Amino acid sequence: MSATVLERLERLPRRNLTVLALRGISTLVPGGWQNKTSPDELISDVLGSDDPELVQQVRARADELSRARHEGYRRALSLYDAVNRSQKAAGGLRVLANVAGALPLVKRLAELTPASQTLQAVDLSLKVAAEMLAFTQVNGLPGDSFAAFGDSLREYTGEARVRMAALVCFDALLPLGDNALHRLDGLLGQVGSRELHQLPSYAGMASLLPGRGDAAHLSFVRRGVDQWLGWADGFVGDLGLSGQRAVRALETTIGPWHGGMEQLATFLDAFTDTYSHTGVQAVARRLVERAAAEI
Amino acid sequence: MSRSLRWGIGLLLVAGLLLGAFFFLPFRSWLPGGTVGNIATREVVNGTLLNRLFPKPQTGEQLVFTQEKRGFSQARLKQGAEVRALLSISDVASSPASRNKFIHTEERLQSWPLVDQGSQASALLVADRFQVKVIGQGSGLDVQQRHELLGAFDLAALAALNPSALPAPAIPTGRQALPPGKQAPLRLPLPGLQRQAPKAQPSQARVPQPAAHRKPSIFNRDNAALEPAA
Repeated sequence: MSATVLERLERLPRRNLTVLALRGISTLVPGGWQNKTSPDELISDVLGSDDPELVQQVRARADELSRARHEGYRRALSLYDAVNRSQKAAGGLRVLANVAGALPLVKRLAELTPASQTLQAVDLSLKVAAEMLAFTQVNGLPGDSFAAFGDSLREYTGEARVRMAALVCFDALLPLGDNALHRLDGLLGQVGSRELHQLPSYAGMASLLPGRGDAAHLSFVRRGVDQWLGWADGFVGDLGLSGQRAVRALETTIGPWHGGMEQLATFLDAFTDTYSHTGVQAVARRLVERAAAEI
Repeated sequence: MSRSLRWGIGLLLVAGLLLGAFFFLPFRSWLPGGTVGNIATREVVNGTLLNRLFPKPQTGEQLVFTQEKRGFSQARLKQGAEVRALLSISDVASSPASRNKFIHTEERLQSWPLVDQGSQASALLVADRFQVKVIGQGSGLDVQQRHELLGAFDLAALAALNPSALPAPAIPTGRQALPPGKQAPLRLPLPGLQRQAPKAQPSQARVPQPAAHRKPSIFNRDNAALEPAA
């Protein structure tokens, strides 16, 4: 029996590279971000009361809800996990390629790894697709309600905005440059099923995407990304996000960085799990909001 | 390869396939643990029906629906960018324990029992079936405001959604299969499968199909005893 959502929340790190990176990026977003990892604190925050008996009741109910397979809270987490594995593996590949490219004997190996920009574009789109699927799992809408997802993005506030800012900065602006959002569609156009299969854990996510076959999955991902792009453009404009600003914000917490932006993105991909970290927190909040209403 | 080894491998394969089929094929949904409290989803009122019973937002306010599941619907009441309250309706069929807190309360709102939980939550039990709850968020709401919000829900329409309050279907004549919810369940001798029956068993208010359109069912024979002697 795997862990419930609140147990996963409790196991999240309180201070490591992931948390520092998120804290850094949150300086760009008004409202800021707190690393909430205590279920009891989350419950009393939602409930507006810290009566231990009520908190206990909410927690018991939340565990019951997250154990029920039909409710989709845990499936949302497994989506985030699949994406996280994919990100780590892709990041690891690129770290390997960077290292191998410098060594004369294994230079050939570096040429075998896929073009990093396309790979990065696919990685980003899979994350957006996962965000959308997790949204439908948690909110209980049918699996392909693109418009509802687009509307809900506008409702993202507080922590959810930090989560999206991290996605935009770490996976779009840093690796693909400041005009990443405009290039994304073009980059995705070049992606075929061969590139898709080069992503180490597309296989892990394929079973969770609606439709059969790579072509169907790819078109689903692209439609989701279209919705997301429409919103992300305004988001980047509102907050004035750029690669430079992201680097400076990160430097306030993780220390000075002397390499290029692309290397920073690779480094973050390979060694942090910002996406699943904030994902667990987001799902836990929704779950607690429901449990508090049902006790 | 000796004969007994071949038989052994064969049997092992068959056992493996059977076990695999049981755990990985659609039989999985027959196992307990799929739904909350193992209450069948069809016994719970769908959240889509609950959405339209939420209070109409006042000027300057906005109602944003956040979750819609079977037996549950939730919305945020926002004023500008600030979330004022979480509003929700849930079907207590899947959480029978939540009824208990209403037993000892004397407070009433539109004749339904009312309970305050902690300093920011108020709950109302409508028709002994639906729990309506307002939880203050952010700067919070006082008791008066929460009770006003509870009263702004369409409580009469909500009470009418209660399946046991719907008019009973006309008694059918002739051979009839009982509707799906009323058939005698197949009792398997599995441990830990006792289902907690909700207190008020919702009667399935379905219009019986005319005999000509009815699918032949193996259960028809079992129900022969229920027929009036014609």
